[in-house]
Amino acid sequence: MDAILEARGLTKRFHGLVAVNGVSFQLRRGEILGLIGPNGAGKTTLVNMVSGTLAPTAGDLLFEGRSVRGVPAYRRAHLGIGRTFQVMKPFPGMSVLENVAVGALFGANGGERNLERARAWARACLESVGLGKRIAQRADALGGPDRKRLELARALAMKPRLLLLDEVMAGLNHVEIEEVIEDIRRVRAQGISILVIEHVMKAIKSLSDRVFVLHHGEKIVEGGTAEVLSDPRVVEAYLGRQRR
Amino acid sequence: MRAGNPARSAARWIALAAVVALLAALPWCGNAVLVQFGISALLLATLAQGWNIIGGYAGYPSFGNSVFYGLGAYGVAIAMAQYQLPFWVGMLLALGLGVAFAGLLGLAVLRLRGHYFAICTLGLALVMTAIVSNLPLAGGNIGLVLPLLGNAALFYELALGLLVLATLTVFWLARSRFGLGLIAIRENEEGAAVMGVNTTLYKVLAFMLSAAFTALAGGIYAYYITYIDPAGVFDLALNVKMIIMAVFGGPGSVLGPVLGAFILSVISEILATKVTSVASMFFGIVIVVAVVFMPRGISHLVAHVRQAGWRYFVDNVRAHRL
Repeated sequence: MDAILEARGLTKRFHGLVAVNGVSFQLRRGEILGLIGPNGAGKTTLVNMVSGTLAPTAGDLLFEGRSVRGVPAYRRAHLGIGRTFQVMKPFPGMSVLENVAVGALFGANGGERNLERARAWARACLESVGLGKRIAQRADALGGPDRKRLELARALAMKPRLLLLDEVMAGLNHVEIEEVIEDIRRVRAQGISILVIEHVMKAIKSLSDRVFVLHHGEKIVEGGTAEVLSDPRVVEAYLGRQRR
Repeated sequence: MRAGNPARSAARWIALAAVVALLAALPWCGNAVLVQFGISALLLATLAQGWNIIGGYAGYPSFGNSVFYGLGAYGVAIAMAQYQLPFWVGMLLALGLGVAFAGLLGLAVLRLRGHYFAICTLGLALVMTAIVSNLPLAGGNIGLVLPLLGNAALFYELALGLLVLATLTVFWLARSRFGLGLIAIRENEEGAAVMGVNTTLYKVLAFMLSAAFTALAGGIYAYYITYIDPAGVFDLALNVKMIIMAVFGGPGSVLGPVLGAFILSVISEILATKVTSVASMFFGIVIVVAVVFMPRGISHLVAHVRQAGWRYFVDNVRAHRL
């Protein structure tokens, strides 16, 4: 099987708290894998270990068949791992265009060295997420939904081969969610593999090929989207056990 | 960083070249006091511009720049006073000492952020005075006496040349991939790292670049003043001055720190001659008023006051009140 990303027993302990406990999964090339779980299940911690901003306590992580343990975050970006942040991290004092240009200048394979070409590519990425008219604004002048689009454009500008989307739809309304779902479909059509973390079940249902569920830092279920979402253990994790 | 219209940018370049030419001609007006003031203002502007690279662009508030200045001064002093080497060899030594020290120091302390970085560099600046005071090669706490050249015009032109070089470097920086990486680090370091910016390398390089101009300024100062001692050149007050001037002018802008240094030098000179006893208090008031009404510096004021009018000041007071 051709896995672009493989986790083997990834574990993260913060002193006494085990945030992620022995999680293994595979993300196939060209696939959209959904990751769901209640708040505090360890989803963002897992993404942080994949993007390299957190070092795992134990376990191994393979990207395109090679271990990336100990590889710093910027090197993983060069290898082709792009991500968005749940708590968005734009560069507030820069223009929208410059925000995205950073991704173009430093992304996969070290990025584009030519400033003009990087700007042109950044503009194309902004247009693809519907921010084409806002390029001259400062990033901190954008409203919530546009900030989410900016996060997506910044990650796309890096020309990633694997994209980690950490709750890009939180706080969006129905129309905006439909738009972002379309954006993500177009990204996948370019051959980019995607890990989607999402609380918006409509998005998970319409996007993911497969889903796995984290609960208290452990993987409890994995499989096809429909069967996982109707699995009693998943319902219990989200809603609690039914009293008899 | 916007690509304004070409006619206006050409006019701007011509105006800047004219200002530099005027400044270069100043020693020929024959006023020795003015030249002396000019040397000090130009060196301070270079220091503010040097600090701008690490403090204004990369966003790391360094209190270690006075150490680079002191190392530069001692580089020239040791070469000339202890080994009778020519000035330019001393300048190379100054450059090497400053840059090498910044590299080593940067690797160690640039992992700290914000206040912690400031405090750590502050401590280092204090330690350096004690270390150099106990080095026989550096003349201990008595200091070193350099040969007297007595050509103020030459030092003036050297200082002007260094300032122009530093400013051109920052001009390039503001438009380069490297500079954009530094700004990204300032705005959000974690975000910069996951987007592929090698944050450690970039920060250390920015620190070394900052140190290069600062150390060279120290070297020129040592030969100009002909006598240096540890307390005089490893002076934290000088570091505070660089920061005030850069922040007053507009950190993270190309011309702001230079303007800030010139304006504050003139104000402090006028105050010191007219109202000697309370000069430093007035100077303090100028700084406080500036920070309250224009916290992002002169360059930001110039760019925005025309469209916002007096509301610019009101908005600043509102936005930054405690």
